[in-house]
Amino acid sequence: MDKYERGERMNLKNLPDDEYFTPGHTACPGCAAPIIVRNMMKILGKDTVIYTPANCLLVFGGTYPYIAWKVPYFHEAFENTGSSISGAARALKKQGKKVTVVGIAGDGGTYDIGIQALSGAAERNEDVIYVCYDNEAYMNTGIQRSGSTPYGAETTTTPAGKKILGKLRHKKDMAEIMRAHDIPYVATASISHIADFLKKVEKMKNIEGFRYFHVLSPCPTGWRYDPSKTVEIARKAVDSGMWTLYEAEYGEITNIYKPKKKIPVEEYIRGQGRFRHMTPEMIEELQRWVDRKWERLYGEKP
Amino acid sequence: MYEIRFHGRGGQGGRMAAEALALAAFLEGKYAVSFPFFGAERRGAPVRAFTRIDDKKIRIKTQIYEPDYVVVLDETLIETEDVLEGLKPDGMVIINTQKKPEEVKLSRSVRCATIDATTIALETIGRAITNTAILGAISRATGKIGIDAIEKAIIEKFGARLGKEAGEKNAIAARKAYEKTIVGIAKAGKKFEGKKQWLPTVDELPLGGSIGTLQTEAGLVGIGSFSENKTGGWRVFMPVVDEQRCTGCKICWFYCPEGAIKMVDNKAKINYDYCKGCGICENECPFKAIEMKREVRI
Ligand SMILES: Cc1ncc(C[n+]2csc(CCOP(=O)(O)OP(=O)(O)O)c2C)c(N)n1
Ligand code: SF4
Ligand SMILES: [Mg+2]
Repeated sequence: MDKYERGERMNLKNLPDDEYFTPGHTACPGCAAPIIVRNMMKILGKDTVIYTPANCLLVFGGTYPYIAWKVPYFHEAFENTGSSISGAARALKKQGKKVTVVGIAGDGGTYDIGIQALSGAAERNEDVIYVCYDNEAYMNTGIQRSGSTPYGAETTTTPAGKKILGKLRHKKDMAEIMRAHDIPYVATASISHIADFLKKVEKMKNIEGFRYFHVLSPCPTGWRYDPSKTVEIARKAVDSGMWTLYEAEYGEITNIYKPKKKIPVEEYIRGQGRFRHMTPEMIEELQRWVDRKWERLYGEKP
Repeated sequence: MYEIRFHGRGGQGGRMAAEALALAAFLEGKYAVSFPFFGAERRGAPVRAFTRIDDKKIRIKTQIYEPDYVVVLDETLIETEDVLEGLKPDGMVIINTQKKPEEVKLSRSVRCATIDATTIALETIGRAITNTAILGAISRATGKIGIDAIEKAIIEKFGARLGKEAGEKNAIAARKAYEKTIVGIAKAGKKFEGKKQWLPTVDELPLGGSIGTLQTEAGLVGIGSFSENKTGGWRVFMPVVDEQRCTGCKICWFYCPEGAIKMVDNKAKINYDYCKGCGICENECPFKAIEMKREVRI
Protein backbone atom coordinates (compact mmCIF):
# COMPACT_ATOMS: atom_id res chain seq x y z
CA MET A 1 0.00 0.00 0.00
CA ASP A 2 1.56 3.29 -0.95
CA LYS A 3 1.43 6.55 0.91
CA TYR A 4 -1.55 7.94 -0.95
CA GLU A 5 -3.66 4.92 -0.18
CA ARG A 6 -2.81 5.34 3.48
CA GLY A 7 -3.97 8.91 3.12
CA GLU A 8 -0.63 10.24 4.28
CA ARG A 9 0.33 13.68 3.00
CA MET A 10 3.61 14.01 1.15
CA ASN A 11 6.28 16.03 2.88
CA LEU A 12 10.05 16.24 2.89
CA LYS A 13 10.34 13.55 5.58
CA ASN A 14 8.39 10.87 3.73
CA LEU A 15 9.30 11.84 0.16
CA PRO A 16 10.50 8.57 -1.42
CA ASP A 17 14.17 7.83 -2.00
CA ASP A 18 13.42 6.55 -5.51
CA GLU A 19 15.01 8.51 -8.33
CA TYR A 20 13.43 8.49 -11.76
CA PHE A 21 15.89 10.99 -13.18
CA THR A 22 19.41 9.61 -12.83
CA PRO A 23 22.59 11.45 -11.97
CA GLY A 24 25.02 11.75 -14.85
CA HIS A 25 22.74 14.14 -16.73
CA THR A 26 24.51 17.14 -18.19
CA ALA A 27 22.59 20.17 -16.91
CA CYS A 28 24.80 23.10 -15.96
CA PRO A 29 25.89 22.98 -12.29
CA GLY A 30 23.21 24.68 -10.19
CA CYS A 31 20.42 24.40 -12.78
CA ALA A 32 16.98 24.38 -11.16
CA ALA A 33 15.32 22.23 -13.82
CA PRO A 34 16.70 18.87 -12.58
CA ILE A 35 15.71 19.82 -9.01
CA ILE A 36 12.16 20.30 -10.25
CA VAL A 37 11.93 17.08 -12.26
CA ARG A 38 13.75 14.83 -9.77
CA ASN A 39 11.45 15.75 -6.94
CA MET A 40 8.30 15.87 -9.03
CA MET A 41 9.03 12.35 -10.30
CA LYS A 42 9.47 11.01 -6.77
CA ILE A 43 5.74 11.65 -6.34
CA LEU A 44 4.47 10.94 -9.85
CA GLY A 45 6.30 7.62 -9.70
CA LYS A 46 7.11 4.88 -12.18
CA ASP A 47 3.76 4.75 -13.97
CA THR A 48 4.49 7.98 -15.78
CA VAL A 49 5.25 8.76 -19.41
CA ILE A 50 7.24 11.88 -20.25
CA TYR A 51 7.07 14.01 -23.40
CA THR A 52 9.47 16.87 -23.97
CA PRO A 53 9.95 19.23 -26.91
CA ALA A 54 13.35 20.76 -27.70
CA ASN A 55 14.81 22.53 -24.67
CA CYS A 56 17.67 22.22 -22.17
CA LEU A 57 15.89 19.46 -20.28
CA LEU A 58 15.51 17.42 -23.45
CA VAL A 59 19.23 17.63 -24.16
CA PHE A 60 20.64 17.21 -20.67
CA GLY A 61 18.10 14.50 -19.89
CA GLY A 62 18.90 12.49 -22.98
CA THR A 63 21.83 12.76 -25.37
CA TYR A 64 22.50 9.76 -27.58
CA PRO A 65 23.11 7.10 -26.41
CA TYR A 66 22.16 8.11 -22.87
CA ILE A 67 18.85 8.83 -21.15
CA ALA A 68 18.47 10.11 -17.60
CA TRP A 69 14.78 9.30 -17.25
CA LYS A 70 13.87 5.93 -15.83
CA VAL A 71 10.40 6.06 -17.31
CA PRO A 72 9.35 6.06 -20.97
CA TYR A 73 10.60 9.30 -22.44
CA PHE A 74 9.71 10.79 -25.80
CA HIS A 75 10.80 13.80 -27.75
CA GLU A 76 8.18 15.56 -29.85
CA ALA A 77 8.31 18.70 -31.96
CA PHE A 78 8.38 22.12 -30.39
CA GLU A 79 4.85 23.06 -31.42
CA ASN A 80 2.91 20.03 -30.30
CA THR A 81 3.53 19.02 -26.70
CA GLY A 82 -0.16 19.61 -26.00
CA SER A 83 -1.37 17.42 -28.84
CA SER A 84 1.26 14.68 -28.34
CA ILE A 85 0.30 14.14 -24.73
CA SER A 86 -3.40 14.25 -25.67
CA GLY A 87 -2.94 11.38 -28.13
CA ALA A 88 -0.71 9.35 -25.80
CA ALA A 89 -3.15 9.69 -22.90
CA ARG A 90 -6.14 8.64 -25.01
CA ALA A 91 -4.29 5.65 -26.50
CA LEU A 92 -3.15 4.44 -23.09
CA LYS A 93 -6.66 4.84 -21.70
CA LYS A 94 -8.06 2.78 -24.57
CA GLN A 95 -5.56 0.06 -23.69
CA GLY A 96 -6.88 0.16 -20.15
CA LYS A 97 -3.60 1.36 -18.66
CA LYS A 98 -3.50 3.64 -15.67
CA VAL A 99 -0.61 5.90 -16.53
CA THR A 100 0.13 9.57 -15.84
CA VAL A 101 1.01 11.29 -19.10
CA VAL A 102 3.16 14.37 -18.59
CA GLY A 103 4.41 16.95 -21.05
CA ILE A 104 7.29 19.11 -19.84
CA ALA A 105 8.26 22.17 -21.82
CA GLY A 106 10.35 25.27 -21.27
CA ASP A 107 8.94 28.78 -21.36
CA GLY A 108 9.76 29.08 -25.05
CA GLY A 109 7.88 25.86 -25.75
CA THR A 110 4.95 27.01 -23.60
CA TYR A 111 4.48 30.78 -23.85
CA ASP A 112 5.35 31.08 -27.52
CA ILE A 113 5.85 28.08 -29.73
CA GLY A 114 3.63 25.48 -28.08
CA ILE A 115 0.79 27.71 -26.97
CA GLN A 116 -1.81 26.71 -29.54
CA ALA A 117 -1.49 22.95 -28.97
CA LEU A 118 -1.44 23.58 -25.22
CA SER A 119 -4.52 25.77 -25.35
CA GLY A 120 -6.35 23.20 -27.47
CA ALA A 121 -5.53 20.33 -25.13
CA ALA A 122 -6.62 22.38 -22.11
CA GLU A 123 -9.87 23.44 -23.74
CA ARG A 124 -10.65 19.78 -24.56
CA ASN A 125 -9.80 18.97 -20.92
CA GLU A 126 -7.48 16.12 -21.87
CA ASP A 127 -6.47 13.90 -18.96
CA VAL A 128 -2.82 14.96 -18.79
CA ILE A 129 -0.35 17.02 -16.81
CA TYR A 130 1.47 19.87 -18.53
CA VAL A 131 4.53 21.24 -16.76
CA CYS A 132 6.27 24.46 -17.70
CA TYR A 133 9.74 24.93 -16.22
CA ASP A 134 10.24 28.60 -16.67
CA ASN A 135 13.79 29.90 -17.02
CA GLU A 136 12.57 33.04 -18.74
CA ALA A 137 14.36 32.68 -22.09
CA TYR A 138 15.32 30.20 -24.80
CA MET A 139 18.35 28.83 -22.95
CA ASN A 140 19.20 25.73 -24.95
CA THR A 141 19.97 27.78 -28.04
CA GLY A 142 22.03 30.32 -26.11
CA ILE A 143 19.69 32.73 -24.28
CA GLN A 144 17.18 34.40 -26.61
CA ARG A 145 14.22 36.35 -25.22
CA SER A 146 10.83 34.68 -24.95
CA GLY A 147 7.36 35.86 -23.98
CA SER A 148 8.38 34.98 -20.44
CA THR A 149 11.53 37.12 -20.24
CA PRO A 150 10.95 39.89 -17.69
CA TYR A 151 11.21 43.58 -18.47
CA GLY A 152 14.77 44.88 -18.63
CA ALA A 153 16.46 41.48 -18.76
CA GLU A 154 19.36 41.14 -21.14
CA THR A 155 19.34 38.25 -23.58
CA THR A 156 21.23 37.83 -26.84
CA THR A 157 18.20 39.15 -28.71
CA THR A 158 17.49 41.94 -26.20
CA PRO A 159 21.03 43.18 -25.57
CA ALA A 160 21.81 46.03 -23.22
CA GLY A 161 22.96 48.56 -25.79
CA LYS A 162 23.48 52.31 -25.70
CA LYS A 163 19.87 53.29 -26.45
CA ILE A 164 17.83 50.23 -25.58
CA LEU A 165 18.71 48.36 -22.39
CA GLY A 166 17.37 44.83 -22.36
CA LYS A 167 13.83 43.68 -23.01
CA LEU A 168 11.25 46.41 -23.58
CA ARG A 169 8.12 44.41 -22.76
CA HIS A 170 7.00 42.82 -19.52
CA LYS A 171 6.64 39.10 -18.84
CA LYS A 172 3.46 37.52 -20.16
CA ASP A 173 1.29 35.96 -17.43
CA MET A 174 1.00 32.41 -18.73
CA ALA A 175 -0.56 30.86 -15.62
CA GLU A 176 -3.37 33.41 -15.85
CA ILE A 177 -3.93 32.49 -19.48
CA MET A 178 -4.23 28.85 -18.41
CA ARG A 179 -6.56 29.79 -15.55
CA ALA A 180 -8.86 31.36 -18.13
CA HIS A 181 -9.25 27.90 -19.69
CA ASP A 182 -11.51 26.82 -16.82
CA ILE A 183 -9.55 23.61 -16.26
CA PRO A 184 -9.52 21.36 -13.15
CA TYR A 185 -6.15 22.52 -11.90
CA VAL A 186 -3.62 25.29 -12.37
CA ALA A 187 -0.72 25.67 -9.95
CA THR A 188 2.37 27.82 -9.82
CA ALA A 189 5.28 26.73 -7.65
CA SER A 190 8.85 27.44 -6.68
CA ILE A 191 11.58 25.10 -5.44
CA SER A 192 12.21 27.55 -2.60
CA HIS A 193 8.90 26.52 -0.99
CA ILE A 194 9.34 22.78 -0.57
CA ALA A 195 6.14 21.84 1.29
CA ASP A 196 4.02 23.91 -1.08
CA PHE A 197 5.76 22.35 -4.11
CA LEU A 198 5.23 18.79 -2.87
CA LYS A 199 1.63 19.41 -1.90
CA LYS A 200 0.84 20.70 -5.37
CA VAL A 201 2.50 17.78 -7.18
CA GLU A 202 0.68 15.30 -4.96
CA LYS A 203 -2.60 17.04 -5.50
CA MET A 204 -2.32 17.24 -9.26
CA LYS A 205 -1.35 13.58 -9.52
CA ASN A 206 -4.75 12.60 -8.16
CA ILE A 207 -6.91 14.97 -10.20
CA GLU A 208 -8.53 13.86 -13.45
CA GLY A 209 -8.50 16.14 -16.47
CA PHE A 210 -6.13 18.86 -17.58
CA ARG A 211 -3.59 20.00 -15.03
CA TYR A 212 -1.16 22.85 -15.62
CA PHE A 213 1.88 23.12 -13.34
CA HIS A 214 4.18 26.10 -13.75
CA VAL A 215 7.49 26.28 -11.86
CA LEU A 216 10.02 29.08 -11.89
CA SER A 217 13.40 27.61 -12.86
CA PRO A 218 16.36 29.89 -12.14
CA CYS A 219 19.18 29.40 -14.65
CA PRO A 220 22.69 30.38 -13.52
CA THR A 221 23.96 30.44 -17.10
CA GLY A 222 21.27 32.62 -18.62
CA TRP A 223 20.55 34.79 -15.59
CA ARG A 224 24.26 35.13 -14.86
CA TYR A 225 24.59 34.45 -11.14
CA ASP A 226 26.67 32.12 -9.01
CA PRO A 227 25.28 28.55 -9.30
CA SER A 228 25.04 28.15 -5.52
CA LYS A 229 22.38 30.91 -5.40
CA THR A 230 19.67 29.10 -7.37
CA VAL A 231 17.32 28.46 -4.44
CA GLU A 232 18.04 31.82 -2.85
CA ILE A 233 17.05 33.57 -6.07
CA ALA A 234 13.89 31.47 -6.39
CA ARG A 235 12.98 32.51 -2.84
CA LYS A 236 13.58 36.19 -3.57
CA ALA A 237 11.43 35.91 -6.70
CA VAL A 238 8.53 34.84 -4.47
CA ASP A 239 9.25 37.31 -1.67
CA SER A 240 9.40 40.23 -4.09
CA GLY A 241 6.19 39.28 -5.89
CA MET A 242 8.00 38.72 -9.20
CA TRP A 243 6.70 35.15 -8.94
CA THR A 244 3.40 34.32 -7.22
CA LEU A 245 2.43 30.94 -5.79
CA TYR A 246 -1.20 29.92 -6.13
CA GLU A 247 -3.61 27.16 -7.03
CA ALA A 248 -6.73 27.55 -9.12
CA GLU A 249 -9.52 25.04 -9.69
CA TYR A 250 -11.91 25.62 -12.57
CA GLY A 251 -10.72 29.20 -12.88
CA GLU A 252 -11.16 30.10 -9.20
CA ILE A 253 -8.07 30.78 -7.12
CA THR A 254 -8.47 28.41 -4.18
CA ASN A 255 -5.18 29.00 -2.42
CA ILE A 256 -2.66 31.80 -2.71
CA TYR A 257 0.59 32.37 -0.86
CA LYS A 258 1.36 35.85 0.31
CA PRO A 259 4.92 36.67 1.33
CA LYS A 260 5.10 37.73 4.97
CA LYS A 261 7.32 40.63 4.10
CA LYS A 262 7.38 41.90 0.53
CA ILE A 263 10.92 42.79 -0.53
CA PRO A 264 11.61 45.44 -3.19
CA VAL A 265 12.19 44.06 -6.67
CA GLU A 266 15.62 45.65 -6.53
CA GLU A 267 16.66 43.05 -3.97
CA TYR A 268 15.60 40.28 -6.32
CA ILE A 269 17.46 41.56 -9.37
CA ARG A 270 20.68 42.35 -7.50
CA GLY A 271 23.28 39.70 -8.18
CA GLN A 272 21.77 38.65 -11.50
CA GLY A 273 23.97 39.72 -14.40
CA ARG A 274 21.03 39.86 -16.79
CA PHE A 275 19.68 42.93 -14.91
CA ARG A 276 23.01 44.61 -14.18
CA HIS A 277 22.53 47.50 -16.61
CA MET A 278 19.11 48.53 -15.23
CA THR A 279 18.74 52.21 -14.43
CA PRO A 280 16.74 53.44 -11.38
CA GLU A 281 13.88 54.38 -13.76
CA MET A 282 13.85 50.88 -15.20
CA ILE A 283 13.80 49.32 -11.75
CA GLU A 284 10.82 51.56 -10.90
CA GLU A 285 9.04 50.38 -14.01
CA LEU A 286 9.60 46.75 -13.05
CA GLN A 287 8.38 47.52 -9.53
CA ARG A 288 5.20 49.10 -10.97
CA TRP A 289 4.55 45.89 -12.92
CA VAL A 290 4.99 43.80 -9.76
CA ASP A 291 2.67 46.10 -7.83
CA ARG A 292 -0.03 45.94 -10.51
CA LYS A 293 0.17 42.13 -10.50
CA TRP A 294 0.05 42.11 -6.71
CA GLU A 295 -3.08 44.21 -6.66
CA ARG A 296 -4.74 42.02 -9.28
CA LEU A 297 -3.97 38.75 -7.49
CA TYR A 298 -4.39 39.79 -3.86
CA GLY A 299 -7.16 42.33 -4.43
CA GLU A 300 -5.32 44.98 -2.43
CA LYS A 301 -2.51 47.47 -2.87
CA PRO A 302 0.91 46.21 -1.76
CA MET B 1 51.86 27.88 -39.35
CA TYR B 2 51.33 26.49 -35.89
CA GLU B 3 48.14 25.16 -34.40
CA ILE B 4 46.85 25.12 -30.85
CA ARG B 5 44.04 22.97 -29.50
CA PHE B 6 42.36 23.93 -26.23
CA HIS B 7 40.71 21.33 -24.02
CA GLY B 8 38.38 22.70 -21.36
CA ARG B 9 34.95 22.35 -19.90
CA GLY B 10 31.94 24.35 -21.00
CA GLY B 11 31.87 27.63 -19.09
CA GLN B 12 35.62 27.68 -18.37
CA GLY B 13 36.22 30.04 -21.22
CA GLY B 14 38.33 27.92 -23.57
CA ARG B 15 36.72 29.67 -26.49
CA MET B 16 37.55 33.13 -25.13
CA ALA B 17 41.13 31.98 -24.53
CA ALA B 18 41.44 30.71 -28.11
CA GLU B 19 40.08 34.01 -29.41
CA ALA B 20 42.30 36.15 -27.18
CA LEU B 21 45.35 34.17 -28.31
CA ALA B 22 44.42 34.83 -31.94
CA LEU B 23 43.99 38.51 -31.16
CA ALA B 24 47.41 38.62 -29.46
CA ALA B 25 49.01 37.07 -32.56
CA PHE B 26 47.18 39.60 -34.73
CA LEU B 27 48.52 42.43 -32.58
CA GLU B 28 52.00 41.10 -33.31
CA GLY B 29 51.30 41.40 -37.03
CA LYS B 30 50.41 37.76 -37.70
CA TYR B 31 47.39 36.15 -39.31
CA ALA B 32 45.23 34.19 -36.92
CA VAL B 33 41.88 32.40 -36.74
CA SER B 34 40.07 30.79 -33.85
CA PHE B 35 36.81 28.96 -33.37
CA PRO B 36 35.17 26.59 -30.89
CA PHE B 37 33.83 23.12 -31.44
CA PHE B 38 30.05 23.36 -31.57
CA GLY B 39 27.93 20.72 -29.93
CA ALA B 40 25.13 20.22 -27.45
CA GLU B 41 27.63 20.68 -24.61
CA ARG B 42 26.64 22.68 -21.61
CA ARG B 43 28.69 24.08 -18.75
CA GLY B 44 31.01 21.49 -17.29
CA ALA B 45 31.05 19.11 -20.24
CA PRO B 46 34.36 18.61 -22.10
CA VAL B 47 34.71 21.04 -25.01
CA ARG B 48 37.43 22.06 -27.44
CA ALA B 49 38.49 25.28 -29.13
CA PHE B 50 41.12 25.95 -31.76
CA THR B 51 43.58 28.66 -32.81
CA ARG B 52 45.72 28.78 -35.96
CA ILE B 53 48.53 31.30 -36.36
CA ASP B 54 50.62 31.98 -39.45
CA ASP B 55 52.72 34.61 -41.20
CA LYS B 56 50.46 34.44 -44.25
CA LYS B 57 46.74 34.20 -44.86
CA ILE B 58 45.07 31.11 -43.45
CA ARG B 59 42.75 29.27 -45.81
CA ILE B 60 42.20 26.07 -43.91
CA LYS B 61 38.93 25.96 -41.96
CA THR B 62 38.82 22.48 -40.40
CA GLN B 63 39.10 21.55 -36.76
CA ILE B 64 42.66 20.94 -35.60
CA TYR B 65 43.56 17.25 -35.59
CA GLU B 66 47.36 17.42 -35.43
CA PRO B 67 48.18 20.35 -33.18
CA ASP B 68 51.61 21.71 -32.35
CA TYR B 69 50.39 22.63 -28.89
CA VAL B 70 47.68 21.23 -26.68
CA VAL B 71 46.37 23.40 -23.87
CA VAL B 72 44.44 21.76 -21.02
CA LEU B 73 42.41 24.17 -18.90
CA ASP B 74 41.06 21.49 -16.61
CA GLU B 75 43.35 18.86 -15.19
CA THR B 76 40.56 16.31 -14.75
CA LEU B 77 40.37 16.01 -18.53
CA ILE B 78 43.73 14.24 -18.75
CA GLU B 79 42.17 11.40 -16.78
CA THR B 80 39.22 10.84 -19.07
CA GLU B 81 40.55 11.37 -22.57
CA ASP B 82 43.91 11.19 -24.33
CA VAL B 83 44.53 14.90 -24.81
CA LEU B 84 47.70 14.07 -26.75
CA GLU B 85 45.69 12.56 -29.58
CA GLY B 86 47.23 13.76 -32.86
CA LEU B 87 49.82 15.99 -31.14
CA LYS B 88 52.94 16.35 -33.34
CA PRO B 89 55.93 14.28 -32.08
CA ASP B 90 57.85 17.42 -31.15
CA GLY B 91 54.70 19.09 -29.87
CA MET B 92 54.03 20.32 -26.38
CA VAL B 93 51.23 20.16 -23.85
CA ILE B 94 50.44 22.98 -21.44
CA ILE B 95 48.39 21.91 -18.42
CA ASN B 96 46.64 23.74 -15.60
CA THR B 97 47.75 21.70 -12.60
CA GLN B 98 49.52 22.04 -9.28
CA LYS B 99 51.95 19.30 -10.35
CA LYS B 100 55.40 19.68 -11.88
CA PRO B 101 55.76 18.43 -15.49
CA GLU B 102 57.72 15.38 -14.29
CA GLU B 103 54.79 14.37 -12.07
CA VAL B 104 52.26 14.42 -14.90
CA LYS B 105 51.49 11.05 -16.46
CA LEU B 106 50.21 10.99 -20.03
CA SER B 107 49.83 8.43 -22.81
CA ARG B 108 53.37 9.15 -23.94
CA SER B 109 56.34 11.19 -22.82
CA VAL B 110 56.16 14.71 -24.28
CA ARG B 111 57.37 18.20 -23.63
CA CYS B 112 55.08 19.59 -20.99
CA ALA B 113 54.54 22.91 -19.23
CA THR B 114 52.54 23.17 -16.03
CA ILE B 115 50.98 26.09 -14.24
CA ASP B 116 48.64 26.29 -11.24
CA ALA B 117 46.26 28.58 -13.09
CA THR B 118 43.34 27.87 -10.75
CA THR B 119 45.16 29.23 -7.71
CA ILE B 120 46.37 32.26 -9.68
CA ALA B 121 42.83 32.91 -10.92
CA LEU B 122 41.32 32.59 -7.44
CA GLU B 123 43.94 34.94 -5.99
CA THR B 124 43.87 37.50 -8.79
CA ILE B 125 40.37 37.49 -10.24
CA GLY B 126 38.56 35.94 -7.29
CA ARG B 127 37.02 33.20 -9.42
CA ALA B 128 38.29 29.86 -10.69
CA ILE B 129 38.20 31.04 -14.30
CA THR B 130 41.56 30.06 -15.72
CA ASN B 131 41.32 31.08 -19.34
CA THR B 132 43.47 34.19 -19.00
CA ALA B 133 46.14 32.81 -16.66
CA ILE B 134 46.69 29.94 -19.09
CA LEU B 135 47.48 32.45 -21.86
CA GLY B 136 50.46 33.68 -19.85
CA ALA B 137 51.64 30.10 -19.59
CA ILE B 138 51.28 29.65 -23.35
CA SER B 139 53.46 32.69 -23.96
CA ARG B 140 56.14 31.37 -21.63
CA ALA B 141 56.04 27.74 -22.72
CA THR B 142 55.94 28.26 -26.49
CA GLY B 143 58.09 31.36 -26.74
CA LYS B 144 56.14 32.10 -29.91
CA ILE B 145 54.08 34.97 -28.66
CA GLY B 146 55.04 37.86 -26.38
CA ILE B 147 53.46 38.38 -22.98
CA ASP B 148 52.94 42.07 -23.83
CA ALA B 149 50.73 41.16 -26.77
CA ILE B 150 48.88 38.65 -24.58
CA GLU B 151 48.21 41.31 -21.94
CA LYS B 152 47.03 43.79 -24.54
CA ALA B 153 44.72 41.23 -26.10
CA ILE B 154 43.25 40.30 -22.73
CA ILE B 155 42.60 43.92 -21.77
CA GLU B 156 40.92 44.53 -25.12
CA LYS B 157 38.87 41.36 -25.28
CA PHE B 158 37.95 40.73 -21.65
CA GLY B 159 37.76 44.43 -20.83
CA ALA B 160 35.10 44.91 -23.52
CA ARG B 161 33.01 42.15 -22.00
CA LEU B 162 33.62 42.40 -18.27
CA GLY B 163 34.63 46.03 -17.77
CA LYS B 164 38.01 47.73 -17.67
CA GLU B 165 38.96 46.70 -14.15
CA ALA B 166 38.20 43.03 -14.72
CA GLY B 167 40.14 43.16 -17.99
CA GLU B 168 43.19 44.45 -16.16
CA LYS B 169 42.94 41.88 -13.39
CA ASN B 170 42.86 39.15 -16.01
CA ALA B 171 45.96 40.59 -17.65
CA ILE B 172 47.71 40.47 -14.26
CA ALA B 173 46.71 36.82 -13.92
CA ALA B 174 48.36 36.10 -17.28
CA ARG B 175 51.54 37.91 -16.23
CA LYS B 176 51.71 35.96 -12.96
CA ALA B 177 51.23 32.71 -14.82
CA TYR B 178 53.94 33.71 -17.29
CA GLU B 179 56.34 34.07 -14.39
CA LYS B 180 55.40 30.82 -12.69
CA THR B 181 55.19 28.39 -15.61
CA ILE B 182 57.46 25.36 -15.34
CA VAL B 183 58.67 23.62 -18.49
CA GLY B 184 59.82 20.00 -18.50
CA ILE B 185 58.92 16.53 -19.70
CA ALA B 186 55.83 14.55 -18.77
CA LYS B 187 55.94 10.84 -17.99
CA ALA B 188 54.53 8.16 -20.27
CA GLY B 189 52.44 5.25 -19.09
CA LYS B 190 48.84 6.34 -18.87
CA LYS B 191 46.53 3.80 -20.52
CA PHE B 192 43.21 4.70 -22.03
CA GLU B 193 40.94 1.75 -22.64
CA GLY B 194 40.39 1.91 -26.38
CA LYS B 195 37.33 4.05 -27.02
CA LYS B 196 34.30 1.83 -26.95
CA GLN B 197 33.68 0.88 -30.50
CA TRP B 198 30.11 0.00 -30.98
CA LEU B 199 27.09 2.13 -30.30
CA PRO B 200 23.64 0.95 -31.32
CA THR B 201 22.05 2.34 -34.43
CA VAL B 202 18.59 3.84 -34.25
CA ASP B 203 17.05 0.51 -35.29
CA GLU B 204 18.88 -1.37 -32.58
CA LEU B 205 17.83 0.98 -29.79
CA PRO B 206 14.87 0.05 -27.63
CA LEU B 207 11.76 1.67 -29.06
CA GLY B 208 11.98 5.44 -28.78
CA GLY B 209 15.09 4.80 -26.73
CA SER B 210 12.64 4.74 -23.95
CA ILE B 211 10.90 1.49 -23.20
CA GLY B 212 13.73 -0.44 -21.65
CA THR B 213 17.47 -0.58 -21.19
CA LEU B 214 20.03 -2.43 -23.24
CA GLN B 215 23.54 -3.51 -22.24
CA THR B 216 25.91 -2.87 -25.15
CA GLU B 217 29.67 -2.98 -25.62
CA ALA B 218 29.62 0.76 -25.15
CA GLY B 219 27.78 0.44 -21.84
CA LEU B 220 24.17 0.88 -20.91
CA VAL B 221 21.75 2.55 -23.32
CA GLY B 222 18.05 3.30 -22.91
CA ILE B 223 16.27 4.64 -19.87
CA GLY B 224 18.36 5.46 -16.82
CA SER B 225 21.60 5.03 -18.81
CA PHE B 226 22.93 8.53 -18.14
CA SER B 227 24.26 7.10 -14.87
CA GLU B 228 27.16 5.87 -17.05
CA ASN B 229 28.26 9.46 -17.37
CA LYS B 230 30.28 10.45 -14.32
CA THR B 231 30.03 14.21 -13.89
CA GLY B 232 32.22 14.44 -10.77
CA GLY B 233 35.12 15.73 -12.88
CA TRP B 234 33.28 19.02 -13.42
CA ARG B 235 33.98 20.19 -9.87
CA VAL B 236 36.42 22.80 -8.68
CA PHE B 237 35.06 22.96 -5.13
CA MET B 238 33.77 19.94 -3.29
CA PRO B 239 31.10 19.88 -0.59
CA VAL B 240 32.23 18.31 2.68
CA VAL B 241 29.64 17.29 5.28
CA ASP B 242 30.26 17.83 8.97
CA GLU B 243 28.40 14.86 10.44
CA GLN B 244 28.38 16.45 13.88
CA ARG B 245 26.30 19.32 12.59
CA CYS B 246 24.11 17.45 10.11
CA THR B 247 20.67 16.89 11.65
CA GLY B 248 19.34 14.79 8.77
CA CYS B 249 16.84 17.48 7.74
CA LYS B 250 17.05 16.37 4.06
CA ILE B 251 17.14 19.91 2.65
CA CYS B 252 20.35 19.27 0.69
CA TRP B 253 18.99 15.91 -0.47
CA PHE B 254 15.98 17.71 -1.93
CA TYR B 255 18.02 20.46 -3.54
CA CYS B 256 20.90 18.52 -5.11
CA PRO B 257 20.30 18.93 -8.86
CA GLU B 258 22.28 15.75 -9.47
CA GLY B 259 20.56 13.54 -6.92
CA ALA B 260 24.11 13.03 -5.65
CA ILE B 261 23.17 13.25 -1.97
CA LYS B 262 21.78 10.25 -0.12
CA MET B 263 20.61 10.14 3.46
CA VAL B 264 22.48 7.33 5.23
CA ASP B 265 21.70 6.80 8.92
CA ASN B 266 20.08 10.21 8.93
CA LYS B 267 23.22 11.97 7.64
CA ALA B 268 23.88 13.50 4.23
CA LYS B 269 26.33 11.41 2.16
CA ILE B 270 27.69 12.89 -1.06
CA ASN B 271 28.36 10.83 -4.14
CA TYR B 272 31.45 12.46 -5.60
CA ASP B 273 31.15 10.45 -8.82
CA TYR B 274 28.36 12.80 -9.85
CA CYS B 275 28.56 15.97 -7.68
CA LYS B 276 29.31 18.91 -10.01
CA GLY B 277 30.20 21.24 -7.15
CA CYS B 278 27.42 23.78 -7.68
CA GLY B 279 27.39 24.71 -3.98
CA ILE B 280 23.61 24.84 -3.52
CA CYS B 281 23.87 22.39 -0.60
CA GLU B 282 26.29 24.64 1.26
CA ASN B 283 24.14 27.68 0.58
CA GLU B 284 20.89 26.04 1.71
CA CYS B 285 21.94 23.90 4.69
CA PRO B 286 20.16 25.53 7.66
CA PHE B 287 22.73 24.10 10.08
CA LYS B 288 25.90 25.11 8.21
CA ALA B 289 26.88 21.44 8.09
CA ILE B 290 28.24 21.57 4.53
CA GLU B 291 31.29 23.47 3.41
CA MET B 292 32.67 23.83 -0.10
CA LYS B 293 36.41 23.18 -0.13
CA ARG B 294 38.95 23.57 -2.89
CA GLU B 295 39.52 20.10 -4.21
CA VAL B 296 43.06 18.90 -4.62
CA ARG B 297 43.19 16.08 -7.12
CA ILE B 298 46.18 13.79 -6.98
C1 LIG C 1 10.45 24.27 -34.39
C2 LIG C 1 11.75 24.51 -33.76
N1 LIG C 1 12.24 25.76 -33.72
C3 LIG C 1 13.43 26.01 -33.12
C4 LIG C 1 14.14 24.99 -32.55
C5 LIG C 1 15.48 25.29 -31.90
N2 LIG C 1 15.43 25.23 -30.44
C6 LIG C 1 15.79 24.12 -29.76
S1 LIG C 1 15.71 24.30 -28.10
C7 LIG C 1 15.22 25.91 -28.26
C8 LIG C 1 15.01 26.76 -27.04
C9 LIG C 1 13.97 26.26 -26.10
O1 LIG C 1 13.65 27.24 -25.16
P1 LIG C 1 12.71 26.91 -23.95
O2 LIG C 1 11.48 26.22 -24.41
O3 LIG C 1 12.50 28.15 -23.15
O4 LIG C 1 13.54 25.85 -23.11
P2 LIG C 1 14.98 26.10 -22.41
O5 LIG C 1 16.02 25.63 -23.38
O6 LIG C 1 15.08 27.54 -22.09
O7 LIG C 1 14.98 25.28 -21.18
C10 LIG C 1 15.11 26.27 -29.62
C11 LIG C 1 14.73 27.60 -30.10
C12 LIG C 1 13.60 23.68 -32.62
N3 LIG C 1 14.23 22.64 -32.06
N4 LIG C 1 12.41 23.47 -33.23
S1 SF4 D 1 21.33 26.87 -19.69
FE1 SF4 D 1 20.12 27.23 -17.83
S2 SF4 D 1 18.30 25.95 -18.01
FE2 SF4 D 1 19.81 25.22 -19.51
S3 SF4 D 1 20.89 23.54 -18.43
FE3 SF4 D 1 22.07 25.44 -18.14
S4 SF4 D 1 21.31 26.29 -16.18
FE4 SF4 D 1 19.81 24.77 -16.88
MG1 LIG E 1 13.46 28.65 -21.37
